[in-house]
Amino acid sequence: MKLKDILSPFYVWKRAFEKPYSINTLTELRPGSPTYRGFHKNDVSKCIGCGSCAEICQNITIDMVPVSETKDGDSGLRPRFDYGLCCWCALCVDICPTGSLTMSNAYTWVEEGLDKDVRETYCFTPGVDEKHWENEELGYHRPDEYELLHLNRLPMPHLPTEERITSFIEMVKGYSREQAVKEADRCIQCGICTATCPAHMNIPAYIKAIREDNIEEGLRIMYETNPLPGVCGRVCTRRCEDVCALSHRGEAISIRWLKRYLSDSVEGEKYNQILASEIKPQNKTVAIIGAGPGGLSAAYYLLKMGYSVEIFEQNKAAGGMLRYGIPEYRLPYDAMDKDINYIVSLGAKLHYNTKVGKDISFDELHARFDSVFISTGLFEASKLAIEGETLPGVLYGLNFLEDVTHGKIPELGKKVLVIGGGNVAMDAARTARRLGADVVVIYRRREIDMPADHEEIEEGYEENIEFHFQAIPMKIEQTADNRLEFIWGNAEMKQLEEGKRPVPVMIEGSRESIIADTIISAVGQSTNYHWMEGEAIANIKFGKWTIEADRWGKSSDPKVFVGGDIFNRVADAISAIADGHRSARAIDSFLQSQTE
Amino acid sequence: MKQLDTELSKQFTLSDYVEQRPELAFVTVEKQQLVPLLTYLRDTKKYTHLVTLTAVDWLEVNQFQLTYLLHNYETHTDIGIRVKLDRDNPVMETIHHLWEQARVYQRELHEMFGIDFPGSPGVEEPMILEGWQGPPVMRRDFDTAKYSLETYDHRKRDTREPEIYMKEKLYPED
Repeated sequence: MKLKDILSPFYVWKRAFEKPYSINTLTELRPGSPTYRGFHKNDVSKCIGCGSCAEICQNITIDMVPVSETKDGDSGLRPRFDYGLCCWCALCVDICPTGSLTMSNAYTWVEEGLDKDVRETYCFTPGVDEKHWENEELGYHRPDEYELLHLNRLPMPHLPTEERITSFIEMVKGYSREQAVKEADRCIQCGICTATCPAHMNIPAYIKAIREDNIEEGLRIMYETNPLPGVCGRVCTRRCEDVCALSHRGEAISIRWLKRYLSDSVEGEKYNQILASEIKPQNKTVAIIGAGPGGLSAAYYLLKMGYSVEIFEQNKAAGGMLRYGIPEYRLPYDAMDKDINYIVSLGAKLHYNTKVGKDISFDELHARFDSVFISTGLFEASKLAIEGETLPGVLYGLNFLEDVTHGKIPELGKKVLVIGGGNVAMDAARTARRLGADVVVIYRRREIDMPADHEEIEEGYEENIEFHFQAIPMKIEQTADNRLEFIWGNAEMKQLEEGKRPVPVMIEGSRESIIADTIISAVGQSTNYHWMEGEAIANIKFGKWTIEADRWGKSSDPKVFVGGDIFNRVADAISAIADGHRSARAIDSFLQSQTE
Repeated sequence: MKQLDTELSKQFTLSDYVEQRPELAFVTVEKQQLVPLLTYLRDTKKYTHLVTLTAVDWLEVNQFQLTYLLHNYETHTDIGIRVKLDRDNPVMETIHHLWEQARVYQRELHEMFGIDFPGSPGVEEPMILEGWQGPPVMRRDFDTAKYSLETYDHRKRDTREPEIYMKEKLYPED
């Protein structure tokens, strides 16, 4: 016998101290692979409840159920999974527009209590119902190179900058049919946008109509909630796009341009035929003060309900701020007139150059009509309230834009300062630029605080407009050579109140100045009610800023309603249109109650 | 590989030769010639390894396509033999006498696509879908959502459309 034969049994013993090859499945969990399609996770702070997961699921595994915590642009619903139906294909993860839905690599889920209905145990709402895999990093996520959604919007053709700054031609060219259908095809039809739109336009429905190339149906859908689609298709503040499900990981659908496409695709003469509906004449009359978007919207819906409508407008044409505030290169007059002409064609009687309070009294309107809708808008420019404001060469943005509309082009000189950061300031600056001036915009806060549309600011930069931020106006002086010196102080942003936006505070002793030929002030608008004299206002209650009214625009005088910029404080066209529509319905129910 | 195709074509009715890579080609054969062709490839051409047997549902032309993938260990080449079956009568000869493991593939195809291989041991036994009553699950005309709704109707759906829910919740009066 060899020595080896004696020792070899003992060699085996050394294995006892090594790591075993076998896996202990009884006490140790074996994790799934790093990309394992295990139990679902949902980052509910990112989830907007758009329902795309439920829509794409081939096994109807997912129900959208209400949750208590919600946010802006969020339906308030979350996906609940029925694991008796799930086949783990992960399409729900792949389609998720926000990227909130993922899978963990967990695959064991033990529930105690066999007495419970099995359906109650394996249905759960990820991210809401606490589970042990909630914070598991590993598991299936949508691979970067794989994308089911079309995240990038079709670029909108614009006029080149050189052409833009020398003319008032509309700078946005509009989509072709092919482009519009392609852009419409990106929409996932979740409908999150509808709630955000002040007029609650049925956006998914008209986008679907574009996709199916059913232009007439699209136009009818738009007119259900908005009788100025050609206008809104150009200048809407489009908060719908801010909440678009696709905007979370990509670019929002070009909802505004698609609306414009629908409106531009139908000739104005055909509107009457396409939008025809049965109108039952009512023996009641409504007076509307102001032919801006609010007044026109109310007029349209009242006319469709069969009321006789008369509109009193102080200017020589309808449109209000759309015509006199927004420059032609953003909203051409013929596009606006297409919308307005259709409303007028339904029988609205317009009294142009008629200022209530001067040419006709409010008392008379109140007595003659069964109801009155007030939508005068914010027609007064706010003052800068600094020394030198009344010097010649200091203009107000609103008046300047109105003069340009009327064809009265003021002598601006070479250099123009625009004070303010809103859309009126940008319109004034870019209009002055088109009239040949070098333009500097001066704003109290930072660029990110500017209320103007971010596209306007970008395009302003493209047109070589200069910007000075955090500049607080101090005074305006006349120089020896009859120019204007604008003096300001630099500001720092301070968070004075928790939860509010930071305020610009002047840095002590700072003083800057710039010489210009014209200064255009555009720091806000207001209104007045001097025109509302007489006995009829006795029942109307005024609040701090405006006439007090409920959400329907109904004032304390049951026959008087208000809407538009004087009422909603958002002060954009679509909110005014929404007001007009709401008040039209309220006026209808008021007048119906009168006849009974 | 093209050479092999030319050679085989002398004895078999082949069509649709596709060379995917230098070492991988596919060719379609008449249904009744499949077993002789596979036997010939295995015994004469050294394609001794059955790599896989799988199916595709060509719903639009009412056909199932079977693919038998064979490997040659000497040349390290693969040949895929395709056969078209009538979708209304999906029956194919078994090849478990050539490769014993083929019965597992055939059992799976029977379960997933409803393709029958008469004589294949245990072909009708369930493989993973124990107790399954519905249609073969990999058939493309199997509407999974509809099946779920009908079969599990005791499981009440409780879902909402975001657009409608938001209207009810946020602006019911408008």
